[in-house]
Amino acid sequence: MTDAWAVETVDLKKSYGDTEALRGLDLQVPRGSLCGLLGRNGAGKTTTLKVLLGMTRPTSGAARVLGLAADNRSDSVRIRQRTGFVSEDKDLYDAMTVDEIVRFAASLYPTWRKDVEDRYRRAFELPHHRRVQELSRGTRTKLALLLALSRGAELLVLDEPTSGLDPAATEEVLQALVSHVASDEVTVLLSSHHLPHIEQVADRVVIVDGGKAVVAGPLEDLRESYRRIQLVFADAAPQPTLRASGAIRSERRGRVLTVVCRSGLDQVLAELRPLNAVAVEVMPMSLKEIFFESVNGER
Amino acid sequence: MPWQKSWLDTRWRFVIPLLVLVLNVWGLLFEYPRVAELLRTVQLQPDALSETGALGRAILESVSAERTYRGYVWYQWFRNNLSQLGTLMAVLLGSGNLLSGSTGAGTLFTLSLPRSRDAWVAARAAVGLGELLILIAIPSLEIVLVSPLIGQSYALSDAAVQVVCAFGVCAAFFSLAVLLSTIFVDTWRPFLIAGGSAVIVSLVESQLALNGPFRVMSGATYFAGGVVPWVGLTISAAIAIGLLYSAAFNLSRQDF
Repeated sequence: MTDAWAVETVDLKKSYGDTEALRGLDLQVPRGSLCGLLGRNGAGKTTTLKVLLGMTRPTSGAARVLGLAADNRSDSVRIRQRTGFVSEDKDLYDAMTVDEIVRFAASLYPTWRKDVEDRYRRAFELPHHRRVQELSRGTRTKLALLLALSRGAELLVLDEPTSGLDPAATEEVLQALVSHVASDEVTVLLSSHHLPHIEQVADRVVIVDGGKAVVAGPLEDLRESYRRIQLVFADAAPQPTLRASGAIRSERRGRVLTVVCRSGLDQVLAELRPLNAVAVEVMPMSLKEIFFESVNGER
Repeated sequence: MPWQKSWLDTRWRFVIPLLVLVLNVWGLLFEYPRVAELLRTVQLQPDALSETGALGRAILESVSAERTYRGYVWYQWFRNNLSQLGTLMAVLLGSGNLLSGSTGAGTLFTLSLPRSRDAWVAARAAVGLGELLILIAIPSLEIVLVSPLIGQSYALSDAAVQVVCAFGVCAAFFSLAVLLSTIFVDTWRPFLIAGGSAVIVSLVESQLALNGPFRVMSGATYFAGGVVPWVGLTISAAIAIGLLYSAAFNLSRQDF
């Protein structure tokens, strides 16, 4: 394991009774990146984040955050000293007022950024004296984000930060996040179901399925390497046997054969050439398409 | 700081009972002249009362003790009201999830903060025990200060020893509630189980005339013979420490 990564897990496993939430997750998040963690419900995203923050102990494997062992008690406190977190439910102390919870959080962080706090108080127009339980979901999310951003953290761990928000509030939150990352050198690990949001802000993506990372890498590289090849034949499409390792799926439908590859496009095309298709089209794939190809299982 | 959270979580469970106890003492003291007058007219038959069991013994103890002002204060306040209300307050202060806010939300927020789980348990224990000590000490001190208003006096040293006795045992019930609060996520189950346990202990002790925790709490041996129940207090302290340690251990191994 190396300290070059802000977050690194190796063969991380976590079981709850008979249920395996993580089944050997390998994850690397470089320092300074904004990494999107994608996956279906129950894929293991939230469990991963909880392990990183010491909320849940792994069954086996290793997890390091900012060079510190996540399952070591004293290291875990130091990790949280340097990490901001927003939970999926925006779980805060409901009975406190906005001012009270901000003052409370500030007292725990010597690195608390009053300038950041003031900036987002103004930008988010938070009602100082209203209790947290009286806030709308959007305002509550903004408060949770303010509390995470103002910690002066090196790493932000955000679990579905835009869930339940209307499009305007979502845009506001994402813009705040991007501008914060741009002005302060922080690493962000952002878990989300919303692929367009990840596509909008992330420079790196990890897709988790069944407790394992099935795709990981810079978003641009993924977009460059994944291709959908569509071949049209004069008669019924043949069923090819593809040897190229980059081909991950092929599907026949009438006269059309579709092949999806994640690397080695030239090799795949070379294998398909002898089939004598009347038309061949190579198309780039969106993150949404890459996601569905990854979580639906390789064939 | 963790203690701030513990204070905000428990402040109303502290302030309201404190007012209730202070008013209770006030009423109790100003009732004394009428009680004293009434007791002068009461003639007891100790042998006949003793034969009627626990109830007879209680009546006998009550009337015998309350013939003096010191006895009245001890019996009505330290033996009855403070034992019962103090236990109730201790259990109430100890109940409630240690990691969430007072409404039950905020556990993950707490766990994301740079403090160990042991620190949250320690903060709840320190704040809760501090509040409990004040709840017991302020009304007891009130007795010393208010007694001259009704032409009586109550020694500060007596009040101090009684406070130590009451606090020592209440701390164990408080710690039981804290431990239960690391097992159940709501406030009411720890409160009901710890409170129910106290009621059962009290009934068994009273029916069997045992030298149990409620007798230690009332400081009966100090009232009767000037003997501080150090053994009982030491056992209570050990139980309280053991329960708090168990609470910290239980919390440290949980997944959220």
